[in-house]
Amino acid sequence: MNQVVAIAVNTFKETIRDRVLAVIVVFALLMIAGGLWLGSISLGEQGRMMKDFGLVAVTGFGLIVAVFVAAGLVHKEVEKRTVYVLFSKPVSRVAFISGKFAGLCATMAVVLVGMALFLFALVWIVDGEPSGMVLVAVLMVYVQLLAIMAVTIFFSTLGSAILASVLGICVFVAGQLSQNVLALTRLGKNPVTEALSWVIYVIIPNLAAVDVKAGVVGEQTLAWGQIGLWTLYLLAYVMVVLALAALVFRRKEF
Amino acid sequence: MAKAGQAIGSGSASGAQSGPAVLVSGLHKTVAVGFRRRKVEILKGVDLVVHHNEVFGLLGPNGAGKTTTVKIALGLMRPTAGTVRLGVEGLGRVGYLPENPYFYDYLSGQEFLDFCARLFGLDGDVRRERVEQLLRDVGLEAAARVHLRKYSKGMLQRVGIAQALVNDPELVLLDEPMTGLDPVGRVEVKRIIERLHERGKTVMFNSHILSDVHELCSRIAIMRGGRVVWQGAVAEALDEVPSLEDFFMKVVTA
Repeated sequence: MNQVVAIAVNTFKETIRDRVLAVIVVFALLMIAGGLWLGSISLGEQGRMMKDFGLVAVTGFGLIVAVFVAAGLVHKEVEKRTVYVLFSKPVSRVAFISGKFAGLCATMAVVLVGMALFLFALVWIVDGEPSGMVLVAVLMVYVQLLAIMAVTIFFSTLGSAILASVLGICVFVAGQLSQNVLALTRLGKNPVTEALSWVIYVIIPNLAAVDVKAGVVGEQTLAWGQIGLWTLYLLAYVMVVLALAALVFRRKEF
Repeated sequence: MAKAGQAIGSGSASGAQSGPAVLVSGLHKTVAVGFRRRKVEILKGVDLVVHHNEVFGLLGPNGAGKTTTVKIALGLMRPTAGTVRLGVEGLGRVGYLPENPYFYDYLSGQEFLDFCARLFGLDGDVRRERVEQLLRDVGLEAAARVHLRKYSKGMLQRVGIAQALVNDPELVLLDEPMTGLDPVGRVEVKRIIERLHERGKTVMFNSHILSDVHELCSRIAIMRGGRVVWQGAVAEALDEVPSLEDFFMKVVTA
């Protein structure tokens, strides 16, 4: 356990000090602030536009950080041969993957807390009242990104960092759509397409199930019981994917 | 005794010192290369013995299989056939410096050594004292808080040696420890190896700098084409020819 904590702390320090991350966060904050301008041309819907646009920006930039940092995390260690130093010590591959993921979770938490507080402040300025739901929505974005980070780390144990990033983004998009695609294919009554979309639905994490953006802007009533269960499902999904990543990594030679 | 590819660290305290420090028997390694996965045999039956408390030099031209032998000993690669037995209680008693080491860009030298010490489970004051001592020993006290990306090649080599010694190992494996060092750095590393020898440690290192090998080693092995073609005492080698360079050339060109 101490090794997992040591690797997590090391990963956190390494990623949070990376200048590329700082640049991405600055761009994210500028993009969120762009919601003020969009609100100003939206005829009485300033607050809603601010929340809507801000949450999309938080999700988009959070996704960029998740896939690009996660993809490089394991791959860079192999490429630059720092794994020689780690695995010549009594460090297990499971501890390595767990520590890397935990460190990235901490980095992502810091990034999202920064963006969430900035958005919260802007919404307060525009609406004249604080909206705690904005913070809850960002928390659910974090849950989605945990799944994407785990999936990207898994892909990075199989191939290149670029491939892992691309596949991570693909899984994110598919995870937003898989629920709707399954519903649509059921309407079509074609057993082959229905079976295929069912397989995709099972393999790809159902991210749309914990997306509460529509509820925050008042377009949808949120069923919190179901959202809680889907959150547990995503956390279990993360554990399974990380276990698979560790299994693949155990077979690797350096 | 620990055995590569199996449970390193399963040895008992009494058994740890009874055999040689490193015993390599009939080691074979075949790897698949290229798109068509062509099989290449890089180790063709390596037999090697390193005794406790000796400084042992593993020599050979590039591609002879020196690094692969060491990697298998550490469990970084799996043998195709044969065994490597380490006469210490697992990787917790081994220190390793890889060739051309690369470490984490955004950690300072002190943070990196502290991280390595944590991986061995060293606690609080012991860890701090060990790290400070090692930074002094390798002459990096002044650069302790500088990020590793700002280190020169020689400084990285020194911090690499320090991380290999952070657990006060019984067996130290150094892959090209003098590479990238200026004359002062080389002298310092030689002194470190001499001090380790005086303290009863076993040191095995790969090097192309035969004058250093002559100065430091009591025994050597010469590899060529995936086999050990000669092993014995340095004095024995110098019975036949005036210098180690001459002996090396005679053996590898035979």
